[in-house]
Amino acid sequence: MDVEFRIRRFDGEKSYWQTFNIPVKRGMTVLEGLYYIKENLDGSLTFRASCRMAICGSCAVKINGKPRLACETQILEIGNSLEVEPLDNFKVIKDLVTDFEGFFKKHEAVKPYLIRKDDNYEEPVELIQSPKELHAYYDFTLCVKCGACYSVCPAAATRDDYLGPAAITAAYRFNADSRDEGEKIRLALVCGDNGVWRCHFAAECSEVCPKQIDPAKAVQKIRFKSAIETIKSIFR
Amino acid sequence: MWQKWFSVKGKSLFSIAFSLHRLTGVVLTIYLCMHLAYLTSIRMGKEVFESFIATTVTPQFLIFDILLVLAGIYHGVNGLRLILHEFGLTYESRKSILYVSVAIVLIVWLIASYRMYTFVMGV
Repeated sequence: MDVEFRIRRFDGEKSYWQTFNIPVKRGMTVLEGLYYIKENLDGSLTFRASCRMAICGSCAVKINGKPRLACETQILEIGNSLEVEPLDNFKVIKDLVTDFEGFFKKHEAVKPYLIRKDDNYEEPVELIQSPKELHAYYDFTLCVKCGACYSVCPAAATRDDYLGPAAITAAYRFNADSRDEGEKIRLALVCGDNGVWRCHFAAECSEVCPKQIDPAKAVQKIRFKSAIETIKSIFR
Repeated sequence: MWQKWFSVKGKSLFSIAFSLHRLTGVVLTIYLCMHLAYLTSIRMGKEVFESFIATTVTPQFLIFDILLVLAGIYHGVNGLRLILHEFGLTYESRKSILYVSVAIVLIVWLIASYRMYTFVMGV
């Protein structure tokens, strides 16, 4: 069966659509379709991919208007005509490849690592955690930083300095970790107007997340915490 | 850039709700300015104000009033839904709450429209 791939391409100067017809077998993914085009029809087609099993988050693209991981999206589940575009809210470098530098800088800015007062790398100690404490944040550790949430966020679309759902979710993930002691530091980083207060709860981030992480929930939880801390600080 | 607030292709119902919230917000802001200008006309005399009333409280204007009420009710009810979620509550049930809030909007709007219709048409 032949399937039509319409791909929005960008050559550094202009953006244009190009159509390819490719033979598709049952179970073939959009990423395999892109590789087929690159290997057989047009070697200049550029896209990002790595693990091919929805772990690295490299291959997120817009497929028929919705951000998805190309490696876990089967062509025949979508239909016999596909439109593949680069993610929104990112600068396009070439074809389907977008610039993630700002996205990763925002992620780095929220200090996505355990902060402890007793860090001792000479004599490390085991940090005990109960299953309940693990489940408080476990879901949020599954983020693959694919940028799908950021690409559909209306707040990120209108303001470049907005941290975005992925970075705020990373902040929440570490704040909710019982081993962490850096909650106040991270709250100070995410409670500005370029942080949690910029979110308007369109909740599209949770709808498109390929790992079903629910970033909107993390943003609301950290926002509520931020509000409580701000009120407390008035009376201190 | 702001056009992206209204871009709904491939988006879920939540983004449509968000876009409508923005749109109704803009409509209500414009209406508020017009309403204040309208009320200020009373400074120009009772006759001027009453001539405005005679122009706008008419069957011809009823459709605009009904649409305005729809915008107001939608913005209010959807706003309450957002406040609920933003307080960190019920986001797991957000789909059901969205459907319930749309149902509330439609019911309140139909009742309000009927009351306005009977008032303006005098039936």
